[in-house]
Amino acid sequence: MLRVSAVAEQAGIPSSSLCCEGFLGQARTTAEGLGYSSLPLAKVPGHVDVQRPDELRAGVLGTTVNDLIRNLTEPVITIAQSPDPGARDIVFTGTFDDINRFYIENGWSDGLPIVPPTMERIQAFLDFVDRDPDEVLGTLLPDNRQATIWNVAVNGVIAGCRPEYMPVLVALVEAMADSHYGVEHSGNTPGAETQIIINGPVARTLGFNTEQGALRDGFQPNTAIGRFWRLYLRNVAGFMLHQNDKGTFGGTWNVVLAENEAVLSRIGWGNVAQDLGQPAGADAVTISRFTGRNVIVSVFGDSPDKVLPYLADAMVTHTTWEVIFVVGMANGTYQPLLVLSPLIAEMLARAGLSKADLRQQLFERARMPARRFENLMTHWTNLVPGGKRGLFELTRLGKAPKLFGESRDPERLVPIVCKPEDIIIAVCGDPLRSNCMFMPHNGMLGFTTVKPIRLPKGWEQRVGAL
Amino acid sequence: MNQLESVVWPRSARTITSRPLAARLASLEGKRVAFLWDYLFRGDEIWDLLKAELASRFPGISFVDWDQFGSTHGEDEHRVLAELPGKLKALQVDAVVSGMGC
Repeated sequence: MLRVSAVAEQAGIPSSSLCCEGFLGQARTTAEGLGYSSLPLAKVPGHVDVQRPDELRAGVLGTTVNDLIRNLTEPVITIAQSPDPGARDIVFTGTFDDINRFYIENGWSDGLPIVPPTMERIQAFLDFVDRDPDEVLGTLLPDNRQATIWNVAVNGVIAGCRPEYMPVLVALVEAMADSHYGVEHSGNTPGAETQIIINGPVARTLGFNTEQGALRDGFQPNTAIGRFWRLYLRNVAGFMLHQNDKGTFGGTWNVVLAENEAVLSRIGWGNVAQDLGQPAGADAVTISRFTGRNVIVSVFGDSPDKVLPYLADAMVTHTTWEVIFVVGMANGTYQPLLVLSPLIAEMLARAGLSKADLRQQLFERARMPARRFENLMTHWTNLVPGGKRGLFELTRLGKAPKLFGESRDPERLVPIVCKPEDIIIAVCGDPLRSNCMFMPHNGMLGFTTVKPIRLPKGWEQRVGAL
Repeated sequence: MNQLESVVWPRSARTITSRPLAARLASLEGKRVAFLWDYLFRGDEIWDLLKAELASRFPGISFVDWDQFGSTHGEDEHRVLAELPGKLKALQVDAVVSGMGC
């Protein structure tokens, strides 16, 4: 919404942005990042989702229209931005406690103690990349700040990472800065959280946990790199609670998922990075935003026919409003993650299923009634415009794949993804337990993105010297 | 823990400096106002209410509706924004209303 207004103002056309009452603060900070700190906002009292027509009318005619007229016809006072420190400027000197207090007061910490980013500690991180510290990796919305090798190192220090994690951190920020991912949506109200997946030999070198408790904090690389991700979103992209981060509830950052490459190799399956186009054996990170997760407990059976109905049912059950990323808001961008524990993956592979076979079978089995899909997409959420249109009509108009509109029968079964490849499958967790996990996906608002990890020359020697 | 250390900040400079807003209009009378919408949060209903009220206060006002542009959120966002300056000019738009931030 505000990006539209900024484009209009830049074209010399005055604008007024309509904003529900609870979002005025976010709008002001977002506008600052766009270079228009005084972008005029017209308040819509309350929130429109729960208002009766007469309540909506009273708010719009009593408040919004007057704001709008004022915004377009009266001079707006421009607020000057305070100058930023330079990247290497010393902003504070003090004890550990003083520095932590200073960081919290300035909003640069998540509330946990940070490791003070001194020049010496930052240099130790820079020593693990063969790149110019001032190299720009991209510009991150909403604050429009530059992602650089330098500030990757600074945030790596404060998150409690080790210097040798630096190549992983850089790859993560390259993924964050890729427009394919859509970092600008990271403050939206569903409050989804990024899941980082790491693949390749580097995971073993750095000591990632791939087995029991793979998604629990407790192992330094899994935990600290997960924390780094959110600190970087806060400090460089600019997502801060009560400002640009409007997650209604939100959640804490996720620890990194490191796939069990030994099991994958044994059963002849590629890893997630390979499925997304990286060469076999490559070091890579994958990021994607998920709206939640649920464990699929005690998957029971010694064959695909016994196991797949339960897995497919879990995928359908836990896919709810996210169907708007299958058809409706952003077609074909729903890419849920199914995490298999090694026991289950091994059993499926032993039965002759390749990963592609498994995806195909899940695609065919994980289906929901069209009526439920349409309720989630339109009637219950009002998230898709023209909400009166059903899947049949959207298919007829070319706005949905044919599979979704084969008849008008509301009880017909339709898929929960557009194609089998949209089901991301990872393998990790307790090697001797039969649980699995499903994570519904936030679609285009955090689209699956993979980046190679570039190790510096003499990596083995540098790591070995520690 | 009592050792003094000197630290840098974890952020970086903004790539965009503060820009001036466009000149405001003397009045909406006789002007052409466009509504761009992200297809969310009842913007269509709100726009209808706004149009009726603005037309009653400024009889010479005219409007360009949201369906002339496409959704400003979702898969069309980048295209709509890229086309916007040219489209506003072609449609002779004097002022823009954008919604919905909710």
